[in-house]
Amino acid sequence: MRIAKIAATTATTAALALGLAACGSSEPTAQESPNTGASQSAGGPNFAGQTLTVWRLGDPNDVVQKYQTELDAKFKEVTGASVKVEWIPWPAVNDKFTAAAAGGAGPDVTEIGNDQVPIWQSQDALKPITDVFKASPDLSQIPENLRGLETIDGEIYAVPWGGGTRAVLYRKDWFDELKIAVPKTWDELIAAAKKIQDKKGKDVDGFAFNGGTDANHLLGSLAWSLGGDYAVSEGGKWVGKVTEPAFKEGFQFYTDLVAKHGVSSKSRLGQNTTDIRVRFSNSKVGMYLTAAWDIATIKEESKGKVKEDNLAFFSLPKKDGSGPAPSFLGGNDIAMWNDTKNEALAAEYLKLAGGKEWGTKYALEGGFLPVYADELAKLESDPKQEVFAKSFAQAKAFPADSNWTEANETKAVLQNAGRAVIEGKKDVDTALADANKEIEEILNQ
Amino acid sequence: MPPWLIPYALLLPGILVIAGLLLWPLVQVVFMSFQKLGLPQVRGTRPAEWVGFDNYQRIFENDLFWTSLRNTVVFAAVTVTLTLVLGTAVGLLLQKLGKVMSKVLIVGLMAAWAVPPVSAAIIWRWLFDADAGIINWALNLVPDGLSNALFGRADWTGQPWLNDPVSIYMILILCVLWASFPFIAVSVLAGLKSIPSELYEAARVDGSTPWHTFRKVTFPLLKPVFAVLTILSIIWDFKVLAQLLILAGPTNREAYNLSLFAWSEAFNPPPKMGTGAAIAVVLTLILLVITFIHVRQMVRTEGDIK
Repeated sequence: MRIAKIAATTATTAALALGLAACGSSEPTAQESPNTGASQSAGGPNFAGQTLTVWRLGDPNDVVQKYQTELDAKFKEVTGASVKVEWIPWPAVNDKFTAAAAGGAGPDVTEIGNDQVPIWQSQDALKPITDVFKASPDLSQIPENLRGLETIDGEIYAVPWGGGTRAVLYRKDWFDELKIAVPKTWDELIAAAKKIQDKKGKDVDGFAFNGGTDANHLLGSLAWSLGGDYAVSEGGKWVGKVTEPAFKEGFQFYTDLVAKHGVSSKSRLGQNTTDIRVRFSNSKVGMYLTAAWDIATIKEESKGKVKEDNLAFFSLPKKDGSGPAPSFLGGNDIAMWNDTKNEALAAEYLKLAGGKEWGTKYALEGGFLPVYADELAKLESDPKQEVFAKSFAQAKAFPADSNWTEANETKAVLQNAGRAVIEGKKDVDTALADANKEIEEILNQ
Repeated sequence: MPPWLIPYALLLPGILVIAGLLLWPLVQVVFMSFQKLGLPQVRGTRPAEWVGFDNYQRIFENDLFWTSLRNTVVFAAVTVTLTLVLGTAVGLLLQKLGKVMSKVLIVGLMAAWAVPPVSAAIIWRWLFDADAGIINWALNLVPDGLSNALFGRADWTGQPWLNDPVSIYMILILCVLWASFPFIAVSVLAGLKSIPSELYEAARVDGSTPWHTFRKVTFPLLKPVFAVLTILSIIWDFKVLAQLLILAGPTNREAYNLSLFAWSEAFNPPPKMGTGAAIAVVLTLILLVITFIHVRQMVRTEGDIK
């Protein structure tokens, strides 16, 4: 650590903060607290009296809330600065980010979905933190293959915080009661779902269809497991691949969940993972694809009616039963907001929160997979986490382009294709040909 | 201050407020529609790029624009007609009712009118919920034979109302109609109270039927009221956004109207405020043309009466 050039000036806090921001350097900097006047040791609370605004995403359950409180207490101990946390529910994230990036009140540091990093980087909302990353003994250990979405044009824009692959969450008590074995093929998956519907009522979704903003977590897994993909970059240009036979077969099965097999109701074609989770908490869903963090929320949301030991995960199988299907490489990052007025303090927060101790704690307590290799290895022997650790090894990402969010969520291209097929307005070939054309237009714009 | 200046001085504050809050944003939207405008441009970290008519060309080439336009126009035509007919009928009824009954009814109607659009849409979405909605439950109560004769089916369990644009718009029409006809009814009632009762007595003496009286006495005298109400209804119904967003959800593109399409372009990532603004400008132009034609016709027919 070195003293920043400008730190020597005895300016006011505001001028100091502005100077740092204008400096534009991402170099980790230490500075004297303007409030104390006396010089302090490097490890002491150099930022006493300052406040850092941190945005966390999702509705906090008790576990996550506790983690955040402890982390902030530790941060205060180390730096002397206090933290103001705001919780942004997932459906509101895009609106809040948009407003903040348009010049409204933004955070200093924010949690962010790893697949959202490219789009918000393209909107100048995130500050590059390559220097912070490389100078930190902890952060530099994070394996490079986990920084793919975070690295754009050679600069790193976010710290991977926890990996989140998807697996099928199911009602273990129902499986035991109806003597259903964990499905190993797609046929078994359908059979299990139908059995649940027969016994638990027609309004129960045996295996819930996802057609909402995060529908591609499900569709992607199905298509990838057969060797299909959305698009590939050929010579700097995206070429759509959803009309290829492998993707088509996955898409066919995706729409058949509702249209042919009826294991999910036709009246909920637009539901996303959050909608499905709410129905699961009300015992209206047997199985659905999600991440481990839903368990804590379901426990709270169902007010104890759906107990934790009645919940379990299995890997979404491949069609022929030859193993688990590749899962969406999801996860959350922690990033510095471009408009932060206190870059040095924000960097300290990233280093603490994303560091090995608190980063691993974040992952383990929040239902994520740790991004540090040795910590991840420990999980493979844990019976509860094994499913996720294994699918993490096989995880795949969506096309790495900032425009993917438009195809994925805003235009919801494949969700609309699926809806058209399920309602019988288009056949699979037409729907996918149209979707392919639109995906290429969006990615290549 | 010379006396001729006084009216202008009195108008000035109002004009300033309207210019600041309405005209300036309107001018800005027109500017934006000729630019490529994302968040960095709004923040000022990157300069906005002038693209001429690109944004307009792009939306006219987009199929979504034409389905949105069709949805907007058909919805407005149906809803405005139904709102005016039902509103007028209820207004006439209110006049015939006794004092107490009419007061009770007015309070009830105004309550429906006062419900915020978002709450109204959520209520209607619940009514039409596939599993727990009262509509499917009620349709299942209809004797099977009757239901078969009427709709060709007897089992309504799990009937999805909110997938298909046609049924989504059916519910949207009900939702908007329910909330907007009370205003028409009360306005018509106010108009009716101003018609001298001698005219009706004369009509009765001449043996006029109620329909005839309405056509020859009530309608011509209330024409200015109807003209204003029609314009207001058209403007309101062209701009419906919140109710549609709640009923159809953000990803059902077939059900977009122009407002929802503009919203989606401008505010969903990556925000394309330029194209969003272009759609808004087209919507505004359509409304201006309709209003212009309507107002001109109004002035002309009033001239005829004289």
